Amino acid sequence: MPDVSIALSRPTPIPRRGLERLDLMLLCAEALDLNGGEAMVWMSEQLGYQTLFPNRVELWKRRCHNPLRRSTRRGQLEVQDTDALIRILTAMAERLYPMLRQLLSAAEPASVSDQRWTLFRSRLQELIEERLNLRRVGVRKLLDPIEGPQICHQLILSLALSAGSGGVERLKASLLDPEP
Amino acid sequence: MIKLSLRYEQISCRLTVEGYPDVSTGQGGQAIGILTGWSLALAGHTELEGKREHLEALLQVVAPYARHLISSAPRTFGAPDSPVAIHPEDARHRLELRSSQPNTPPLTLHLDDAELADLVRCLDQLLLDGRLQLNLQTPSPQPLRRSELRKRVPLGRRMAAPLCGMAALGLAGAISWMVPTPKPGSFNPAQDKGSTNPMADPGKTGTPSGASQLPR
Repeated sequence: MPDVSIALSRPTPIPRRGLERLDLMLLCAEALDLNGGEAMVWMSEQLGYQTLFPNRVELWKRRCHNPLRRSTRRGQLEVQDTDALIRILTAMAERLYPMLRQLLSAAEPASVSDQRWTLFRSRLQELIEERLNLRRVGVRKLLDPIEGPQICHQLILSLALSAGSGGVERLKASLLDPEP
Repeated sequence: MIKLSLRYEQISCRLTVEGYPDVSTGQGGQAIGILTGWSLALAGHTELEGKREHLEALLQVVAPYARHLISSAPRTFGAPDSPVAIHPEDARHRLELRSSQPNTPPLTLHLDDAELADLVRCLDQLLLDGRLQLNLQTPSPQPLRRSELRKRVPLGRRMAAPLCGMAALGLAGAISWMVPTPKPGSFNPAQDKGSTNPMADPGKTGTPSGASQLPR
């Protein structure tokens, strides 16, 4: 069995399941921020990824490596591309952290919390229906009234725990997880 | 020498670290190389204080716990004799702090997801702060093993495939057991000679095999 401790020391491409999660987390960030698409491009420029993603189309093309996408792209995503996407996501999560915290807090009144979750899930559902392949089992699970909210909660918790520079390595390690 | 204090804050969490620069290693006046104490204030909970080893124990438990939580595979961290332990508990996280004083019950804090995220962010800020030169030992995040991830799949779903396989194997075995097998003693060559079955007469079917094809 290969030693996982060396997995992060050398550049390892993120597996298919990891790409799915990465794009879904970016989709969650877009659902939280109405101007999320623009914010992502702006964040990419701020982090100095103009050469990798000179425009929004290039960013979109990298995200289309998610197999759950309606127009999915074949092939492996370069390590530098995934690293850049991870850094953009963690920077966005840091910016959105107050909203993530509000969703996760048990101290918030239940009615207010329910309203926030309903709004977030409805926005996410719109984005999913617009961009993802609804025939895929993974997408149907996201839209399922029972399984969907649990997956959404897990995605928001993952975003909160990977917010900021400290979350980069943690998120990257989780995206490199093997399939169970 | 002036005591330095660094503070890391989130909405429900405040971590304060105090100490002095280690001039013997040439540290600047704004760096902390010798830790004299730290305190952690979590909103609505008792303020915690400790020494370097307690801070290291907290880091060694909370960081891998957060790592497992991102992968939806939460599990307990912290040995029974460790000063800090953390356990997943329903929708919360139970942080247990054990005193080195004898006969002192452990202090238990129940954190929700937001409070845990605040604590993790405070610890991240502490680890990334260049002014803090303590060389704290923390495990680096690693991909989980397949066996660790298997637990997140419900037992019913995990067992479905092997149970279906075993059921299919059993069914195939039962069907093959019901099919009658020809008995070795029931074969009668005389009866087969007069038979009109073309399969029994190699000459009619044109098959080259059989004793009738052999030259006499």
